[in-house]
Amino acid sequence: MYELRKVDKKFPGVHALKAIDFQIGRGEIVGLVGENGAGKSTLMKVIYGAYQADGGDITIDGTKVRFQNPRQAMDHGIGMVFQEQSLITNLTVMENIFLGFEQQFVSFGVINWKDMAQAARNQLAKVKLDIDPATVTSRLSFAQRQLVELAKVLTLEERVDGDLVILLDEPTSVLAREEVELLFSLVRDLTSRASFIFVSHRMDEVLELSDRIYVMKDGEVVDVVAQAEANVDDIQHKMVGREVDKEYYREQKQKPYRKEAPLVSFKDVSHGARYQNISFDLHPGEVLCLVGTEGSGREAVLRTVFGLETPTAGTVSLKGQDVTRFNAQNGVAAGVGYVPRERKVEGIVGGMNVYENMTLSQMGNYSKNGVLRISEEKSLARDWIDRLSIKTPSEYKDCGGLSGGNQQKVVLAKWRSGGSDIILLDHPTRGLDIGAKEDVYDMVRDMSDDGAGIILVADTLEEAIGLSHTIIVLKDGIEQIRYDCEPGNKPSLFDLVHHMI
Amino acid sequence: MSFERIKPHLPWITLLALVAIVGIADANFLRPANLIAMAADIVPLFIMALGMTFAIYIGGIDLSAQSVANMTTVVATVTLPLFGVGAALVCILSGFVLGAVSGYVTTKLLVPSFISTLAIGGVAFSAAQYLSGQRALFMDAELRDATFGWMTGSSFGIPHEIFIGAFLVLVTWFLQTRTTFGRALKAVGAGEPAAVAAGLDVAKIKIMAFAVSGLLAAVAGLLFSVKLSGGSPTLANGFLLPAIVAVLVGGTPLTGGVGGVINTLIGTLIVAVIRSSMLYFEVDATKQQMVFGLVLIAAIALTIDRTKLRIVK
Amino acid sequence: MGSVLTRDVLVKWAPLLVLIVLILFFAAMEPRFFSVRNFARIGISSAPALMVAIGVTFIIIMGSIDLSMEGTVSVCAVVFAFAFIAMGGTLASFAWLALPLALLVGAAVGLLNGLVHVKLKIPSFMASLAMGFVGTGFALLLTGGDRIRVEDDLFRGLLTTRWFNFPIMCYVAVAFLLIAWFIQTRTTLGRNFYAVGGGEDLAHASGLNVNKVRILGFTLAGVFYAVGALLAVGRIGIAETATGSNFMFVSITSVVVGGTALWGGIGGVWNTLIGVLIVNVINNGMVVIGLPGYVQDGVLGVLVIAAVVLSTDRKSVTFVK
Repeated sequence: MYELRKVDKKFPGVHALKAIDFQIGRGEIVGLVGENGAGKSTLMKVIYGAYQADGGDITIDGTKVRFQNPRQAMDHGIGMVFQEQSLITNLTVMENIFLGFEQQFVSFGVINWKDMAQAARNQLAKVKLDIDPATVTSRLSFAQRQLVELAKVLTLEERVDGDLVILLDEPTSVLAREEVELLFSLVRDLTSRASFIFVSHRMDEVLELSDRIYVMKDGEVVDVVAQAEANVDDIQHKMVGREVDKEYYREQKQKPYRKEAPLVSFKDVSHGARYQNISFDLHPGEVLCLVGTEGSGREAVLRTVFGLETPTAGTVSLKGQDVTRFNAQNGVAAGVGYVPRERKVEGIVGGMNVYENMTLSQMGNYSKNGVLRISEEKSLARDWIDRLSIKTPSEYKDCGGLSGGNQQKVVLAKWRSGGSDIILLDHPTRGLDIGAKEDVYDMVRDMSDDGAGIILVADTLEEAIGLSHTIIVLKDGIEQIRYDCEPGNKPSLFDLVHHMI
Repeated sequence: MSFERIKPHLPWITLLALVAIVGIADANFLRPANLIAMAADIVPLFIMALGMTFAIYIGGIDLSAQSVANMTTVVATVTLPLFGVGAALVCILSGFVLGAVSGYVTTKLLVPSFISTLAIGGVAFSAAQYLSGQRALFMDAELRDATFGWMTGSSFGIPHEIFIGAFLVLVTWFLQTRTTFGRALKAVGAGEPAAVAAGLDVAKIKIMAFAVSGLLAAVAGLLFSVKLSGGSPTLANGFLLPAIVAVLVGGTPLTGGVGGVINTLIGTLIVAVIRSSMLYFEVDATKQQMVFGLVLIAAIALTIDRTKLRIVK
Repeated sequence: MGSVLTRDVLVKWAPLLVLIVLILFFAAMEPRFFSVRNFARIGISSAPALMVAIGVTFIIIMGSIDLSMEGTVSVCAVVFAFAFIAMGGTLASFAWLALPLALLVGAAVGLLNGLVHVKLKIPSFMASLAMGFVGTGFALLLTGGDRIRVEDDLFRGLLTTRWFNFPIMCYVAVAFLLIAWFIQTRTTLGRNFYAVGGGEDLAHASGLNVNKVRILGFTLAGVFYAVGALLAVGRIGIAETATGSNFMFVSITSVVVGGTALWGGIGGVWNTLIGVLIVNVINNGMVVIGLPGYVQDGVLGVLVIAAVVLSTDRKSVTFVK
């Protein structure tokens, strides 16, 4: 019923979509996979009207349509559930649901809040969410917000005659497993009223939910597979265009760590309600992975090591020195390097170039009496651009304009070049494509070989298992179990999930 | 693409265009003596704008600059007979301290700089009124010439104010581009969370930025006081908004991390040309302010680089 | 959850607590402060400022800022005075038409302001600052620097006629406060201000015409500036270029002191009422307790900082610029 034929989209210097054919039937769930930069997000933007195609046709039930903006797409029954939370947190749930469409509740210029609340309750019932529609959105959990987003898109049902197409962009990225199950069963129920396009990095979820899967690579649809025939390896192979290394996580390079004086040591450390009584030692060459769901306390532990959080009890010591004042300056001085999850916000400074970013944490090494030795900074940057094969035209390039993988390399170079030997990695591969992920895994092994200790909060459990020497499973801020993970003797996914939830 | 390349250069292209327009209308405007006089005249405003640049560069604002300059005119006049050249030191120090207090209130007490600097400006104004006994004070002409005469003299036909202005541009430009402080300022302006996560002492850097702003406002006040041979709590009134305008027109947007002292130099000159052009186009006195506003909108619309602004608020 | 709630409640009522503490403090220092006469005096000085501050509140909720109020107030005051005198000079004649005319002029100036900001894509700080120059300049052009006296007894009744000891202008201000409250809570436009302030790009993605909301916001603010101008003229009986002077910093300070956040999305007109009263109580209280004139600016500054520290919720944002 909804169809794209030979749709093309060009940007200056990039042919983002090349003659895309795409169709979705009534009540169908279609998966869309591809590496970053394969053109998924451009395709979605064309579908929901944020971009206009340069060539080709878009038809709904055989009628040609052309959307100038998302509003027009909505009027044709196409709605988008965004990956980034798109709810405005200072508004109430009902205001968010009807944002931009309040007019139906307005008489003589006055909003009838009772009517709106009732209508909102009806929408929330569709997604089986029982909350007061007058709740301010910032009070909801991430999972609840995701459902409110879905409820918001489902208002299309009342507004539009005909069929709905709903795009789900990485809807599960902030959800725990049982919440994912809930979402999926909901989506399946809703196929009686709408078709879905499901985009995710998590291949198993795509396979589980979708009737058919479109595989994209370099702006083209390289394959369409039915659920029955799909398997993860085949699809990954097509996405990448080459065999994925069986030793994807570089397990063969994992060497035992040195059990000498620990770099970081936690003794019964607690931080209010975030985590309690956490103890561990991080040794040179060790990769220690904190596993748990969102809010299990793993990020808070990382931020404590760096000094961004002050624990309420217990002793933290870095290289044998007890930490008394927790702030980032002291952490950096002790040799801690933090690779944050929000790369663009906390990792690099957009607007500053490569060498400025690399020396930001260690300007003292490149200055005398406060005056910078810029030529030394530049040669440092050139050196590390070579060593990590960072793809940038030069050291003068604005880091905000680099791709995610290269930004991540700049962040790592910043810490490694400054001699940091306690590296904290928070979702270091989030949003990176497979090639860039492999680069990061290589760097993790190289750093271990150099004797650095690494604390990792991984993007996926596979990654955690593959990379680590030690895994600590956290749940609600409390340590559940600890695994030693020599190559060949690693815990299984099931072992971990079992303790996480 | 080519327009993208031109964008960063728009401020000085605008300046040249303005000079050319006024020059064509009246060639007298282009006489070196006239241009030099115009430049010398604008120096106190320029110095204040230089300071303001630091506050705006980190994404804040300094509304106390005018009051600090006012206070400095009084401080200079009162302390000149007591300390001689040391009066300059007292002035600079008091500006620095007031700026640092604004910075402290902004970063440690989490009061937006719009409010904190306004409030500290009130404190400076009160101090000026108290010190001056609420009247205009005058410097002893001989003493002034002996101590600070070098500020207002001229060499090779060029007034010394211009040398002072040029010297300060060089110093601040060096500070901005060549020092760890300047680099840290850029990081804080362009990406404060990343600066924190890189282990920079962001609070200290911000306090210093406001302190530099206060210091330069004090220098502006000192120069003003020497030029007019006196001090009063309202001597520098009418300077605040033009100083902000000079920074913004030069292409240092309020979002921080972009622009800098050279931009402010160009911005101040744009303001100066627009103002003096009124004379050449014989704009009636009652119309001048309106015309100034209109030309300003045109100049800002031309000079700001919107690609650096994520959302236009 | 319990502790979260008390904290929220505390944050919500903190500005009012600050106001009450200030009133008690000044009353304790000087009993004459706590009299109906003095409260009426505070009301008179607050009324025009409240109108201007309410106008800019809407803009600040959107996450923008408006610095054009001094120009707009002057233009409205001057146009009103000219029209009023030209049409008969007393409210008993057709000159009353000058009142709606002033509001229209305010709306037009605000609209222009919004258009310059949105259509030329100039940040509101710069656009409104420059438009403020234009406004003040235009008022100067109209008056040629003269003062225009508005001496109609009926119009001056705003100040001179009192009901229950308070002049009519206070009631007018309260009426417009209620109108503003209505707009804020019961109209689409009012709610959309919060949407834009809470997340402009998200609001846009939801199909909201953000540019329209912005332009209408500046227009609405212009209307309230016009009301402020009328009250200001009513208070002193003179319209001139300087009628708008000093409204800019005072109104924005009041909005922030009242607890509306400069980064948008939080606060409202009641906060602004409290903020305006805090600033005016401080100003009035300093005079009443006989503080020398020259220290008043400094004391006001220090107290404003203290009020912002005590009365606003700044924990919700990490960075304050």
